Amino acid sequence: MTAKRRVAITGIGLVTPAGNDVASTWATLRAGRSQGAPITIFDASGFSTRIAAEVKGFDARAVIDDRRLLKFANRAHAFALAAADQAIADAGVKPTHETRERWGLSVGTGMMGMAWPELSTLGLAAGDGEAVDPERLVASDTGRDPMVFCRSQTTAGLALLGRRFGIGGYSTSVHTACASGGQAIGTALKLIRRGTIDRALAGGFDSMINPVGLAGFCLLGAVSADNDAPSKASRPFDATRNGFVLGEGAGFVVLEDWDLAKARGARIYAELAGDGNSLSSYRITDSHPSGDGPIQAMRWALADADASPSDVDYVNAHGTSTPMNDASESAAMRAVFGDGIARVPVSSTKSTMGHLIAAAGAVEAVVCTLAIRDGVLPVNANYANPDPDCALNLVVGRERAQSVRVAMSNSFGFGGSNSSLAFRHPDYDGGRRRA
Amino acid sequence: MKGVVVTGLGAICGAGKSPGAIVDAVLEGRSALAPIGTFDVTYWPRPVAAEIADYNAAALAGDRKLLKVIRRTDVVGLYAASEAVRASGLDAHRDGLSGEEGARFSERTGLYAGSGGGNYQNQYDYFPLIGETGGALPAFGHELGSGVNPMWLLKSLPNNVLCHVGIRFGLKGPNACITNHSVSGMLSIVEAAAGVANDEADRAVAVGHDTPIEPQNVLYYHGAGLLAKEILRPFDASRDGSLMGEGAGALVVETEASAKARSAPVLGSILGSGHATESEGLLAVRDDGSGPAQAIRAALDDAGVTAREIGMIVAHGNGTPASDRSEALAILETFGTHAPPVTGFKWAIGHLIAAAGAIETVLAFEALRRGVVPGIPVLDRVDPEFASLPVAREPREPRGNVALVLSRGFGGTDAALVVRGA
Repeated sequence: MTAKRRVAITGIGLVTPAGNDVASTWATLRAGRSQGAPITIFDASGFSTRIAAEVKGFDARAVIDDRRLLKFANRAHAFALAAADQAIADAGVKPTHETRERWGLSVGTGMMGMAWPELSTLGLAAGDGEAVDPERLVASDTGRDPMVFCRSQTTAGLALLGRRFGIGGYSTSVHTACASGGQAIGTALKLIRRGTIDRALAGGFDSMINPVGLAGFCLLGAVSADNDAPSKASRPFDATRNGFVLGEGAGFVVLEDWDLAKARGARIYAELAGDGNSLSSYRITDSHPSGDGPIQAMRWALADADASPSDVDYVNAHGTSTPMNDASESAAMRAVFGDGIARVPVSSTKSTMGHLIAAAGAVEAVVCTLAIRDGVLPVNANYANPDPDCALNLVVGRERAQSVRVAMSNSFGFGGSNSSLAFRHPDYDGGRRRA
Repeated sequence: MKGVVVTGLGAICGAGKSPGAIVDAVLEGRSALAPIGTFDVTYWPRPVAAEIADYNAAALAGDRKLLKVIRRTDVVGLYAASEAVRASGLDAHRDGLSGEEGARFSERTGLYAGSGGGNYQNQYDYFPLIGETGGALPAFGHELGSGVNPMWLLKSLPNNVLCHVGIRFGLKGPNACITNHSVSGMLSIVEAAAGVANDEADRAVAVGHDTPIEPQNVLYYHGAGLLAKEILRPFDASRDGSLMGEGAGALVVETEASAKARSAPVLGSILGSGHATESEGLLAVRDDGSGPAQAIRAALDDAGVTAREIGMIVAHGNGTPASDRSEALAILETFGTHAPPVTGFKWAIGHLIAAAGAIETVLAFEALRRGVVPGIPVLDRVDPEFASLPVAREPREPRGNVALVLSRGFGGTDAALVVRGA
């Protein structure tokens, strides 16, 4: 077998509740300033959960100079365009007439549908029980509005990003719930490795901080209802954790064939070295208490990266702050790292920026990249009460200086899809099997 | 994609509930396109689609309890995937393995779904509460718990087929849910085959599923000028748009070694794929056909075959003026005067959107098995702008047992797949 093509991360971009770019997000995550707060985007006063971590002070028109494109963009699409712009500018390379066919696009997209104003307007105008009256639908404003159609397409974000950057190769939009962002980046890694493309813009975007999205999570009882202490509500691995805090945003990376990146003198943040992608096939929402499913994803990511558990100096956990996930993920980490578990620093940055759902894995991949670059681990905020089921070497209190040889990012979704990504420091060569 | 063989096929659509039954209907010239029956189309501007006749959710899903947490699109996906798995004998083989062998088999079996995503109907569960509260948010939030199915979010997940096919057959390997409009189905096959070719799995199930025939969706497609009045006439001078179908197509792909080890039937192989993005926006395609041409060239290159080795082309042929024109130009540009017989299936089964590329690949295998290129009986006169495109009303013989299948989707995505019959 021929050696795997190596893949470099050469550009990063973020729009998150912790900041509207990489530098500000990273500073907030390092300090562990948790962003949970009362919801301001819409009137959530009647909901059982009234808190979330919102992107703040984001003015799409100030950062995206294409008004026509923004006309078609919903809130999450605007985050995606801004974060992707940052990543492309940061990489210092973009598709040209000559290279466009060798550029790919792989995005984790949230659940698409009508936004609340359209849904509620249509429900009042044409609702017929849990169905729509076709005759009244035809006459309704929503039924006549082509923009509702365009914005609700699962490929709308892909189309906007493709157009913005003139990408001409393999493009794909994936959705495996909370694993979407990680799987999108894993897909791009595979596409470069198998030679389908040389470079990719890969990431995820989502915003479910709206009445429909929040309703779905409230109905499931998945979100924390600590409305009186919003900045303490997301507390992954803490014994008193009681649900996640919804976040929103986008994260993008530019991935390049290693040799091409080297040849153009690019700054390489890290090597995207391994992808582990498994299916739990257990239950639709529940994760197996033993960690089965996530265990395979983590092991496969490490094997794919030619790394062993002892190479890992940081795990950015899925760590949603739900009772079940954090216990099951801890069990999975104990299985993968064995006795070494006490040595491996772990944090969930969802403690600070909330759960970005389809964007989470992509944003957290960027966090791993930054940890490698700076040799600093971000805080697992709000941790106060140890849970024996989650006995981990958590980064608590303040950031930790730690040079990172290999970092891992976990993302596990409803429906049982698990994504683990492994990142290597660009100068770390240990354990690598020679071809 | 060296050594990726196909060992099971499954399909369901308006024309039938198996690949054989569907190709029978196609060869007999029967189109499943008919007036829509699932909602009142008395005042409807475009009342034709290809619905699944005598749709019985419980029978198709094979599990009545599941219907609380899945939608129609998931039911058909689960059905087609189960048919493909059973046809390949994969489930029976796994059941005969010991605990550890069985666990290894599960972990080395991948699952890739092409899904239409959410669409609109799943959100109508909120209508009664919106009606009761007059759309006032505080009241809506307050009454939520008593007014809406608590499983709403789960029922709406685009990746439900991954979840339930995985649980049913104990599949635990690499997976993806691709929500990439009408290239989703083909990409599910491409990713499954690539996973197997690159040793991420020994075998994988690929399934594309979609049920786009819902009032709001049909209305928007019409509003965008994409739907025909009553007949989907691909590549015809008088074509006036597409028409929707619903259903799913599924394949089991595996390494030659995996198929041989369990004496599985080999129905053909996946040779390679090619891809392009036109990046003109959400609905627009380039006039010159450069997108599909790029995908075709890349697919031939990836498969290691020449244009002359292609025995038949299953075109996307969705019947819209712009897509058919640019697709025809791309075929003529890449094949020159040597284009093999070209056909398509949408005139008979409708456009299955996210399922299209999957079911049309399944039907391509069935056509290759029978050694026939089905005709397009609704063809009246080939558009003079590409009169040399070798489409025909009558069935023909393929030039060889390799087929090229084409898919195109919103966002200007193009995909081409090269497959070989047994």
